[in-house]
Amino acid sequence: MIPMREQLLRFVDELRGGGVRISVAETIDAMRAVAAAGFEGGPLREALAASLVKDEADRPIFDRTYAQFFGRAHPAQPRRSDRRSGARTASGGPPQAGAGVAIRPLVEPEQSQPKLASRSKLRRLAEADQSRGTPRGDGDAEAKAAPGEKRSESRDAESVEARRQAQLAAIERAPFDHYSELDYETAHDLLAILIRRFRVRLGRRLKPARRGRIDFRRTIRAATQRGGALIDLRFRARRPRHIEVLILADISGSVRYAATLMLELVAGVRESFQRVHSFVFIDHLAEAGFEEGHLVMTPALDPYARSDFGRVLEELWERRGELLGPATLMIIMGDGRNNRRPARADLLADIAHRCRVVYWLNPEAAERWGTGDSAINQYARHVAALIPSRTLGELEHALIEAF
Amino acid sequence: MQITPENVSEGLRAAGYVANQRIDTAIFLALALDKPLLIEGPAGSGKTEVAKVVAAMLHTELIRLQCYEGLDEARALYEWNYQKQLLRLQADEHQGLRWEEVSEHLFSRDYLLERPLLRAILAPHRVVLLIDEVDKADQEFEAFMLELLSDFQVSIPELGTIRAHERPAVVLTSNRARELSEALRRRCLHLFIDFPSIDQERQIIELKVPELDARLAEQAARFVAALRKAGLKKPPSVAETLDWARALTRLGVRELEAASVRATLGLLLKHEDDRAKIESKVGSLIPHPLSR
Repeated sequence: MIPMREQLLRFVDELRGGGVRISVAETIDAMRAVAAAGFEGGPLREALAASLVKDEADRPIFDRTYAQFFGRAHPAQPRRSDRRSGARTASGGPPQAGAGVAIRPLVEPEQSQPKLASRSKLRRLAEADQSRGTPRGDGDAEAKAAPGEKRSESRDAESVEARRQAQLAAIERAPFDHYSELDYETAHDLLAILIRRFRVRLGRRLKPARRGRIDFRRTIRAATQRGGALIDLRFRARRPRHIEVLILADISGSVRYAATLMLELVAGVRESFQRVHSFVFIDHLAEAGFEEGHLVMTPALDPYARSDFGRVLEELWERRGELLGPATLMIIMGDGRNNRRPARADLLADIAHRCRVVYWLNPEAAERWGTGDSAINQYARHVAALIPSRTLGELEHALIEAF
Repeated sequence: MQITPENVSEGLRAAGYVANQRIDTAIFLALALDKPLLIEGPAGSGKTEVAKVVAAMLHTELIRLQCYEGLDEARALYEWNYQKQLLRLQADEHQGLRWEEVSEHLFSRDYLLERPLLRAILAPHRVVLLIDEVDKADQEFEAFMLELLSDFQVSIPELGTIRAHERPAVVLTSNRARELSEALRRRCLHLFIDFPSIDQERQIIELKVPELDARLAEQAARFVAALRKAGLKKPPSVAETLDWARALTRLGVRELEAASVRATLGLLLKHEDDRAKIESKVGSLIPHPLSR
C-alpha cells in the first residue's frame, strides 16, 4: 500500500494537471488537514476540498479527480459513526453540493481526462532536462514549516506550473492568423487562467474614487482627526458600474479563432456587468451563447458565406435596436473586410451615437489595415478606438482597455 | 472545549445550526489548524450565521468587522481619540507639565479608540473574529489584512508592538462582488455554502419555528426550494423562510393554499418583478402535502 503522503502528493499533482492552482503551502495545509480529520470517506474528501479548492468553480474537477483517485483506492466504506442522521452516505457528496451552482466547468471533462495522463507523462519527460530554479512567488512563511515535504513537492509544482506558464506565454504571443487547430485547442485550455486573471483585473476597479463628488461628512470627520488643520478630501464611492456589454464578432474563416476566444473570455466575466449580449456574424447576424464550452448560434450561419458587415449593421439596427442605449458598451471584433459590399459606415455612426462607447478590435496585422477589400478605415472614424488584437495577449489588453 | 470532529458537529447542533459534513469538516479544520475560514455562497445561505454559531459553541465573544468600500485602517484597527486628547492637552497646560509627561498622557490606551481588529487582538481569551463581506473592501485593505491575519500583531508607533495573547478564530465571508486575491485564498481554508436542501431546510424550520406543524414545515421547505429554482432576481434566503414560517403560524395557517401564500408572498419575495412573476403561478408551485 502506498503511504498516504505519497498518495496525497500525487493527488495534488493530478489536480494541478487539471488546471487547479495549488501552492506548496496549501499542500502542506492539506496534509495537516487530513492528519486532523482522518482518512475515511467523507471527512477525508471535505478536508482535502477545504484546503485545496479555493474556488467553487474548481470543485467539479476536484470531485472527478477525487473519485478517480480515492474511489479506487478506498472503496466506499460504511461510516464508522453515524453522526448526522440521514445527512448522506460516506462516499457521495452532499446532495445539494454543486447542484445549484451555475458555474460551468471551464475544462470539459471529456477533454481533460486523456490530457491528465498525457500531461503527467510529458511532465516526467520534461523533468529530466528542465532547468530548475523558476522562482515561485508563493513560497509562504508557512511553507517553511516542513522543509522535507517542500523540496520534493516544489519540484513537481514547478514542472507542471512552469510548463503551463511557458505554454501560456507562447500562445499569448502567437498571432491568430497563424493558428493551427492545435494552437486553438491549447489557447482554449489556457483560457481558464486568463479568465481568472481578467476577473481579478475587473474587480480591482471597485475602489474608492480619487476624484468626483466630495463626501462632505467623511471629509469633515477625517479633518477633525487633525484638528481641522489639514483637509484630506474624501469622495463618494463610485456607484456600481451599470454597463451592458454588447459583443459583435465576425466568425468568418479568417478571424474565427480570435472571435470565439474573445466571446468565451467575455462569457467568463459576465457577472461583472449588468448584462452581456453576444452576437456573431458572417453575412447575417446571429445570437451567440456557450453550451458546455461550445459556441452555439441562433440562427445557424453559413460558414462559407462571405462577410457583409453592412447588412449585419442594418439587421442590428432594425431588429435589436432596443439593446443600444446609453449604458451599452459595444465591442466589435472583425477585420472589416467586407468583400466590397456597402460598408454602411453611416449606420455605425448612428449606433455609436446611441451607445455609451464603441470599440473595434482588429485581429489583423496593422500593416494590412485598409488594404484590398478592408473597409476598416471607414469604420474607424466612428468608433472610440480601433485596438489591435492580433494575439491572445493583445486581445486581453484590448479588453482591459475597453472595460 | 476539546476540538474533535465529533465535538464540533455536536456543538454546531447544540448551538442550533443545521450543518452537513462539508460544513462540519471545514469548521473543525479551521479550529484545529488555527487557520482563517473563507466562506462563499449565495446571499442568505447562512454564511454569517456560521461565525455566530462558532462563537456560541466556543462560549466566547464574536467581534464583527463589516467591510464596505472605503473601509480603512482607522475604522478597522485603531484611531486616536483626537477630541479627548485635545481636552487633555488643555487641562495639562494649566498644570505646566513637561512635554514628556504630556505625551505620556496623550498617547496612552485611554485615548485609543479600539476598532474591531485591535479588539480581537487585545482580547484576553480566544474570540471569534468575523470579517463580513470581505469582497466589499478595497484591494489595499485586503493586502493590509493579509499581513494581520498571518501574525496577529500590530505596531502602533506611539505604543509599540501589540501581539495577540491567543489567536482569534477568523471567519471571512464573501459574496463575490469582487474576485478576492489568490494570496488571500491561499491563506484560508475554503467553504462554499449553498442553499440548504429541502430536508435540511425542513430541519432548520423545525428547529427555529417549533410551533409550526411538521407537515406544513415540509411543505414550506419544498415551496421555497421551488421558488429558488424559478430564476428570480433575489431568491429567498433562509432567514426569509423562517420569517415566512413564523408568519404562517401567527396567521394560523393549517394548510398551504394559494390564497394564504399570496397574502404572505411579500415575506419571501422582495422585488416587484419577482412578485409579479410568481403571483400568477402560485397554485402550481405549492407542493402537495406528503403523507408522513
